[in-house]
Amino acid sequence: MSPPPAIRTERLGKTYLSGFLRRPFVGLSDLTLEVPEGITFGFVGPNGAGKTTTIKTLMGLQAPTEGQAWLFGTPIADPQSRASLGFMPERPYFYEHLTAWEFMEFYARLSGVPSGEREARISSLLERVELSRFRNVALRKFSKGMLQRAGIAQALVGNPRLVVLDEPMSGLDPLGRVLVRDIILAERRAGRTVFFSSHILSDVEQLSDRVAIVVGGKLREEGKMADLVGNAALSVDITFTGAADLPGAELLREEGNRRTVRVPPAEVDDACRSILSGGGSVLSVHRNVPSLESVLLDEVERARTVNEKQLGVLA
Amino acid sequence: MSRIWVIATNTFREAVRDRILNSILFFAVLLLGISLGLREVSIGDTDKVVRGVALGGVSFLATLVALFLGVSLVYKEIERRTIYTLAAKPLARWQLLLGKYVGVWITLAVEVLLLFGLYVLIVSPQQGLPGMPLFVAALMLMVELSLLAAWAMLFSTFASPVTATAYSVSIYLIGHFADDLHLFGERADPGAFRTLVLSLYRVVPNLETFNLRAEAVHGVAVPWSEVAWSTAYGAGYTTAVLCTAMLVFSKRDFK
Repeated sequence: MSPPPAIRTERLGKTYLSGFLRRPFVGLSDLTLEVPEGITFGFVGPNGAGKTTTIKTLMGLQAPTEGQAWLFGTPIADPQSRASLGFMPERPYFYEHLTAWEFMEFYARLSGVPSGEREARISSLLERVELSRFRNVALRKFSKGMLQRAGIAQALVGNPRLVVLDEPMSGLDPLGRVLVRDIILAERRAGRTVFFSSHILSDVEQLSDRVAIVVGGKLREEGKMADLVGNAALSVDITFTGAADLPGAELLREEGNRRTVRVPPAEVDDACRSILSGGGSVLSVHRNVPSLESVLLDEVERARTVNEKQLGVLA
Repeated sequence: MSRIWVIATNTFREAVRDRILNSILFFAVLLLGISLGLREVSIGDTDKVVRGVALGGVSFLATLVALFLGVSLVYKEIERRTIYTLAAKPLARWQLLLGKYVGVWITLAVEVLLLFGLYVLIVSPQQGLPGMPLFVAALMLMVELSLLAAWAMLFSTFASPVTATAYSVSIYLIGHFADDLHLFGERADPGAFRTLVLSLYRVVPNLETFNLRAEAVHGVAVPWSEVAWSTAYGAGYTTAVLCTAMLVFSKRDFK
């Protein structure tokens, strides 16, 4: 029998009742998802798409109003489903009265790390997130980026099989982002499952084995990164010198006799031949492949069109 | 069990590092010092006046701390979102709340010890060492504080700090006037109002049960059976309130 996936949801949904009149607001609807163990899973979507709602529901912070979910085959209503879980929430706040060391010790004890291993584990994690020299500093004196790194360290202290990070890159400077990226890659190499949400799509593209896109509380796409964005070039940009005339090419830039044009992929060979036969030189050829951003924007646009159509029908 | 203890010790550490406890101790010293001076300006049995004011002050300050800790510690956990990482641990919600309560209880026990220690230190040179009634009064105060902290914690699981404080203070006041409430209900004309008042009397705790300050001031011994009954009443009531708080907390969504 194959091992249960790290995360599985079946028609998971969360509807909030807000205001005095208890008006319903759908935060998440009909989410069916499976995250196998050992992969890095990127969870993307615009603000208010339902990413944090999904994560909070999986973490047991709020009860789903529809459907079910399991962590390693155990229903999320059972606290034991979180026995091998490390979690860092979005914009984390921690106990200000604790020093970095006390903070890590608190989470290590809560995660059941044996006392004999605790010190070495905490030292190595503080080292990894570059907070070793602040080990005796109270968290109230930490910057936002330092808190974020401390948050990642506490998520890893129990040596969990599943690490869930909600917007781990937000609030970090470029060096902090590289650090977090390296940690996620190292966790993947160590065979852990990393499930993370992010607005920074380039990071998701670089780090994820699989990606899910949520828009308007619904899952729109899910699959391997290569399947989602595809490998086929949409167009090709050629930068060249010379006076070649390239019919059908779109001129992007012109500086003296140096020009950059965009041509369809099928016309690249002909364009290069024309440039060379005209006495010019090809300086660079760049393939434009679809990005996660373009896929996400398409999904947002599609969701908007569907909404407008539904409103039209209602009107 | 060990995870509950981890949360309890962290709560204790959080409470101790909060400046409010130091301020309370400072005010306790000030108040006890002032109460000593009352001997010079009061008439009659001046020693009893000193003991009465000093004990009343110490109890008032301890009650303030119980309400403050009960209301603020769970609320802070939610407001500062530290609850997110705690709730994601393999802990049931009731364990989390029980851990917080045990932490508050330890803090209150230490605080009562400190306040009564200060009382003995400051008042004894003038009036001699206190007898057993004072220690019984301290024990009963601790039972009352445990109950008040549980109520405050229950309110803080669903209300804002201001509302939770208002509810808790109401319980404190009604609880100390419970006997009057009963008398009022008994004397009211039969009808809905009488039923309402008598029902309220049955629901709210009778906090006067735990008030043995007059006995301590006058040096009157209280039978141990009465002490045991009051302790059992307080413990049972506290358990019921705490179980309700756990139930409310376990149903709550953290948005």
